[in-house]
Amino acid sequence: MSNPILQLKKLTKTFSTGKVKALNEISFSLSKGKILALVGESGSGKTTLIRIITGLETQNNGSVVFKNNILSSNTIFIEPEKRNIGMVFQEYALFPHFTVFDNIAFGISKNKKERVTEVLDLVALEGFEKRFPHELSGGQQQRVALARALAPKPELLILDEPFSNLDVILRQQLRSDIKEILKKTNTTAIFVTHDIKDALKISDEILVLQKGNLLQHGNTDEVFKKPNCEYVSLLFDAFKI
Amino acid sequence: MLNPILNGITMKQILLKILRDSNKWSIILLTIVLFVSIPILSIAFNALNGPGESWGHIVHNMLPNYLKNSFWLVFGTSMLTLFFGISSAWIVSRYQIPFAKQLQWLLILPLAIPSYITAYAYAGFFDYAGFFEKIIGFRVDIMNIYGLIFILSISLYPYVFVASRAFFVNQSNNIIEASKILGASERKTFFKLILPLARPAFIGGLILVIMEVLNDYGAAKYYGINTFTTGIFRAWFSLEEPETAIYLSVILLVTILLFIILEKKQRKNTAYFNSVKNHTEVRKLELSKKWRYILFFVAIVPFLLGFVIPLLQLLFWAFLTYKDVFTTSFFTIALQSLSISLVSAVCTVSFALIFIYASKWNRLQFLKSFEKIGVLGYAIPGAVIAVGILIPSLFLDKSIVMFFKNNLDIKIGFLINGTVLILIYAFIIRYLAVAYSPIEASSLKLNNTLVDASKLLGKSNVFTFFKIELPILKPAILSGCILVFVDVMKELPLTLILKPYHINTLAVKAYEYASDELIAEAALPSLFIILTGILPIVFLNRLISKS
Repeated sequence: MSNPILQLKKLTKTFSTGKVKALNEISFSLSKGKILALVGESGSGKTTLIRIITGLETQNNGSVVFKNNILSSNTIFIEPEKRNIGMVFQEYALFPHFTVFDNIAFGISKNKKERVTEVLDLVALEGFEKRFPHELSGGQQQRVALARALAPKPELLILDEPFSNLDVILRQQLRSDIKEILKKTNTTAIFVTHDIKDALKISDEILVLQKGNLLQHGNTDEVFKKPNCEYVSLLFDAFKI
Repeated sequence: MLNPILNGITMKQILLKILRDSNKWSIILLTIVLFVSIPILSIAFNALNGPGESWGHIVHNMLPNYLKNSFWLVFGTSMLTLFFGISSAWIVSRYQIPFAKQLQWLLILPLAIPSYITAYAYAGFFDYAGFFEKIIGFRVDIMNIYGLIFILSISLYPYVFVASRAFFVNQSNNIIEASKILGASERKTFFKLILPLARPAFIGGLILVIMEVLNDYGAAKYYGINTFTTGIFRAWFSLEEPETAIYLSVILLVTILLFIILEKKQRKNTAYFNSVKNHTEVRKLELSKKWRYILFFVAIVPFLLGFVIPLLQLLFWAFLTYKDVFTTSFFTIALQSLSISLVSAVCTVSFALIFIYASKWNRLQFLKSFEKIGVLGYAIPGAVIAVGILIPSLFLDKSIVMFFKNNLDIKIGFLINGTVLILIYAFIIRYLAVAYSPIEASSLKLNNTLVDASKLLGKSNVFTFFKIELPILKPAILSGCILVFVDVMKELPLTLILKPYHINTLAVKAYEYASDELIAEAALPSLFIILTGILPIVFLNRLISKS
């Protein structure tokens, strides 16, 4: 793989009981500008994996390397706020007491006004600056969350089940919008989903997790057409008509 | 050579991970834990030095008395508070009686009167030519252990009332209806079903009652009942034997520890308490006119005994004595009392916030278990905390004095003891739990993704706290502040031991008046304390109603 921006090496996480491995020696790389779909059912380890990448959780073993710098290993830990990794949360996590402008400007230190206008334009929400999150629809909140995450120009963006709270029509609309925005801004992204349709429509690569184990990682087409095990094959069966 | 110790993980690997995960918050958390543990540690270490000269005398002549009295006080007060608390809670929750809504908060009001003030008021009420003798025609001697049990019960039953009522209000109506359909009477439903289900709730309240009984000094001292707390005072001040006071403190601490273990154990059994899902609120039963008034009377009795009678007695005394008591010196004391309470409340809440967040931001999991030490202070009687603080602070003060004398030939006085600083430090330890609980509960309810989002937008923990969490936690912080403020206003034993000579509080002033047989003069400072105590009760009631 040429020029990987993110590398995970034998990442293992065991929760306090010490019996269940949430992640078992996960290793993979991701190149700049690529969109990776992280796929797996509930309890597969998707959330734990992205929490370790962002620094919201620490692993028991292994390391996370980002732009050739170690973010976390058995001896090193860089705080989440120093990693320049953005995230769009499943429940959007918009600050309820801040306006749209303040939410988006929260992570920016310079030229706040210009940058907020720029990202609001990008997500097609011009004129919404003074509204509060509770005054927005689900789709609009989702767009604000995306704008807020993009505003500090993160080098890696993680989207954690961003469509799970949206209806089908809005979901289809946002799917293509988000892909377009990520490509336009050349943002490297990890897109967490349990919906295979989302993964197939948006991603360049797919990584399948099951019970903390990495089953397959490759180009979206390759994984779709050549699943390496029965579990992965079953995941894509419904879409092979 | 570092050997493998756990599933192939070497000591070296463990140490490296501790180094990786430790941050400045780990150090702050450890410092706070140490700061809070000083009184307990100093008592534990000093207990190893052996008891004072009078210990043998105390063991033979006093200890059996302390044990017997403390046991009967705990037992008698427990029984009576359970009776008053549960019966009134069930009546206001289950039956349509007159003024039921008002009774729900009126029944909590006795908490606004410290038990030692209720004790003074009743001493006057039952005294020669007191209201009781004037109205009924004969005199009842209340200055004994039975009187004290009565006083503590009518002062403290609201703890059981609040816990029981919260349970009864949230109890599923389906359970009561199922019981009725199966042919059970109202009585059988209550005793066989509701009461066992409510057990964890009212035992939680009862544990608080027991802690307060063991902490009481003012009421027991005034009624001449020797308990562990009065014994600690006697050993320290009359016998001048700190070692003996320490030994008594250790016994009291162990007793309290047993109650804490008991409470923890009973909490484990609360699974069924919360298992009632999809509950519908208990439907209130309509009663015949006669029963409505009988039950109203039963429910209102604890309120009349615990609040109205002592308040009327105090108002009567205040009317008689206000010209002598309402002087500039009273204002000075009131101001000192308010200032100390306010500063203590702000310090305690700030300390609780640092404690909660240092624990949250520290990444070493094993350190998080120390968190509970911070809330231990509320279970430890004020007198014990005072002894635990005096020992190391006296040692430190003496060392400083000696250092200046020997090295610089300068004579200085004590720098720590006899200052407000030491008093505020003691209040922080004693009431940390009072501030900690509402803030911690609110911070746990706070959506964690908001905090995560802020961090991933490049903001530090402290910035995130001030910008995101603080605005949401404000009500909890305010409630913590009010609760500590009122507790400090009422506090007696700890203040008596640690307060500076030139400073006084309303609680101490009321105690001094009562001790000097000027009990009527104690009314005005007492009324002032009660006034400040009513505020959080209204607050508490709102909280329960909302939940």
